[in-house]
Amino acid sequence: MSNKFLFTIPKGNKSIDLPIEIKWDFYGRDDSIELYEEEVLGDIIGVAKDFEILRFSHSPYIPNQKTEIKYDFYFYDSSVPVSASTVSTDWVNSYLFPNANPSGFSSTQIYYYEKPFTKSFFKLDFYDTKDTQSQTNYFTIIIPVQQGATESASISPLTPNVNIRKPSYTLDFVGDKEGFFIYWLKNEAFLNIDTFYMSAKFFDGRLGVFVKMMNEPQSSLSDKFIFDNGRYFFNKVIIDYTTKTYEVFDYLNNRIGAGSPIKWYEYINP
Amino acid sequence: MGNRQDIRVILGSLRYKSAPDTTLLFNVPLIQTAKENVEFDKSLDVNLEQVFDNERQNSDIIRPTCKFSLLFQNAYSGFTNYPPFENNLYYLNADSAAALQCLSGATTISWTGVPQYNEFDFIRTDYNVSGYTQPPNEHLNFIPKSASSYNWNFFVSYGYENDYTKPMSATDKKTNIILNWIVGDGIPFIIENTVYNGRNTVSFRCPVKHGMSVGEFVKLSFSYNGTDLFQIDSLGVSTFGSEEYVFNIIDVGYLGGTFNNGVTGTAKRVILNEHEDDTISTYYVRRNKILTESENAVLVNAGFEQNIFGEKKKYESSGYTPNQVARVSIKEGSQSYTLSFNKDIRVNPIRDNQKRPITELFFTVIYKGYFGWMFGIPRAYPSTDYFGLREGWEFNLPLNSSGLPSSWWSTSNSDSDCNFPMGSYTTPISSGYGPGSGLITFTYVESLKEGDIIDGDYCEWNDYDQQEKVISNLFHKLTFNPFSFRIGGNVANQLGYYYQPHHVLTTRVYSDYIEDGDIRNVVGIPDYSHFSTTKNLFIWRDLYPYGFVDSGNIGVSYPFLNGVHYPFKNIIFRIIPEGTNYNEQTIIADPTIDPCE
Repeated sequence: MSNKFLFTIPKGNKSIDLPIEIKWDFYGRDDSIELYEEEVLGDIIGVAKDFEILRFSHSPYIPNQKTEIKYDFYFYDSSVPVSASTVSTDWVNSYLFPNANPSGFSSTQIYYYEKPFTKSFFKLDFYDTKDTQSQTNYFTIIIPVQQGATESASISPLTPNVNIRKPSYTLDFVGDKEGFFIYWLKNEAFLNIDTFYMSAKFFDGRLGVFVKMMNEPQSSLSDKFIFDNGRYFFNKVIIDYTTKTYEVFDYLNNRIGAGSPIKWYEYINP
Repeated sequence: MGNRQDIRVILGSLRYKSAPDTTLLFNVPLIQTAKENVEFDKSLDVNLEQVFDNERQNSDIIRPTCKFSLLFQNAYSGFTNYPPFENNLYYLNADSAAALQCLSGATTISWTGVPQYNEFDFIRTDYNVSGYTQPPNEHLNFIPKSASSYNWNFFVSYGYENDYTKPMSATDKKTNIILNWIVGDGIPFIIENTVYNGRNTVSFRCPVKHGMSVGEFVKLSFSYNGTDLFQIDSLGVSTFGSEEYVFNIIDVGYLGGTFNNGVTGTAKRVILNEHEDDTISTYYVRRNKILTESENAVLVNAGFEQNIFGEKKKYESSGYTPNQVARVSIKEGSQSYTLSFNKDIRVNPIRDNQKRPITELFFTVIYKGYFGWMFGIPRAYPSTDYFGLREGWEFNLPLNSSGLPSSWWSTSNSDSDCNFPMGSYTTPISSGYGPGSGLITFTYVESLKEGDIIDGDYCEWNDYDQQEKVISNLFHKLTFNPFSFRIGGNVANQLGYYYQPHHVLTTRVYSDYIEDGDIRNVVGIPDYSHFSTTKNLFIWRDLYPYGFVDSGNIGVSYPFLNGVHYPFKNIIFRIIPEGTNYNEQTIIADPTIDPCE
């Protein structure tokens, strides 16, 4: 292509602007469109995300690389108000508590697995923070009452004592397993959380109410009803994506549940 | 404008003395770096199905899962005086042993029984047995995390390479002649001259499936008058199912002893006699490479599923046990299991043993036997190691004519040795029960590691066919540790249990047709294609996309979600006692026409 231009006698240097009309598109634009297409499709319908979950087991601890995790739940006879004279032994590790309200099953209900008992369960909720105003509950573990240790109790004066369940759990790879594993996202890309805060509740199948649990008995508090919720209602759980394990810590960042049980005490409203 | 340049224009008369003024012209080069917009390219209909398929085809991540139905017959009874083992048998002579112990007061009465099912189960549940897995005087301290890895380890593997030099041995069932050959030599046979369909025929009876067809050719390991290539005239003899094991050539009146009865040799399949080099099969042992660690396996009970045989257990009354402790003993269980892995498998970087993109993964199950009931036979001095798992192929499984294990399985045959690393330990409580009243050495197979390469199936490959066929599956054999549990017989070649370690999981398939193309005018010839001198073209089989199943029902379609493929397989895992008729392949096919029709 050639264009003819005629120049007259110049005075000084001249520059020539050649207006060339562009009606075309640059090379590579179609590639850009393809990329843009993917971007738009991603915005409209989303891209595939990995929601696969994996089981995380309790991290082994010495001696003998044990992995079991123990939970002991303690109930309080709520017919007696919590006061300055209340002591920690007022909370007992048993479903039995005559006249207790809301907890307190009869030994017959427990032994014969009657509906009010079997419909009860412990509920461990896992949050991203212990700030109760802003926290999000990411997952929950249910521990059924049919698991756990036993204690001796009488169901009739005419028969020998029998063994009934009590709220003391030793969870592991074998034996009582329900509640041992944490099932959480395998891929950290979607939600990169490795620290959770665990709270505990008990659903009382007799009354249809939830009973909140604390990590220390109220008797140990100077003010029985005004306290730091984050400190007393939560334990910290850290999961390790590499080893696929988790560990539980108290508010001082000391590991708990490694040998000795993690204790939860019924919280009594004033 | 990117091509803008400063151009200085000088009057002609100023360039040099007497230079004339001239009319100047210059060319403006317009370089085309653009193209016209096409409106269609800028608009697109969103097709979810297409988007899904694009994601599916682009993903190369596999999360293999399977369900195991464990079938086991607890067949071998024996005895031991080692208390943790003796106190936990499923007793077979409880009445007489209890009476003898009561009368004599001796503690060395032989309580005969079989090891309980926990010794073979995928997940042990005897974590709280006092005197065995818990103190006092326990055999070992049970670690719950190891419940699913004490007995067996689970891996994902793939066909990685071929071994053409593996020595093999099989026994001809009819004559009891032992056939020895190198796997690369082909298919072994023994000749028998017969009359088939009224014609004199030379029959080649093979201990394995020969995989040949009528009209094809065989290249024999010996020749007759300079030729070693013969056309297959027919298959089988007059017995049911013999087509797969016998191929025949016409006896045109061969002289001499070349084709006499009882002559043995090996044969290779050839598809076209005029292109022998291009169409001959190769034979090898496929070697599998382990892709995962034992810790990556997640084995759990399958919900609501048990096999049809149920659990066989009984109550051992305290008066009928050597330690006077009542318990329930289990002989055989019925639990099914599901297996998954916490490691994803990326398949694109992996090539199979034929250097093609992989289309098969394997669930590889290896017996570990940490409790020490198995193995235990020391190797010859100066080695301090122990014999462990042994390997063989399906044709090695039958008992010999004396009703004993084939000599292939003897510890004196190094060709059947898996050579897996062995671990060992002793227990204080075993003192006095071992050789020379010393300690018992309990042995187990060390867990394999990612990257380990182990033997697999006996296979055939044909370049012209572009297809691999499995001739015979690999089996492992485990035998009891005679120092911890004695079942009698020759300790160097005991009766034992077999299992198949590799279970294939098809992740993709190659087409049932063969493509060919000239590299000069066909684009996209895959790098795994083979240049066929027969056709003078590259030949290959297409790799079907995920989710595509052709009219012949060839293809795979399994869930794709989370950007990942989830292939699944149901596996019947058999632990086979020696000499059991385990053959499951004789399936009565559905009739083509139902009698009701």
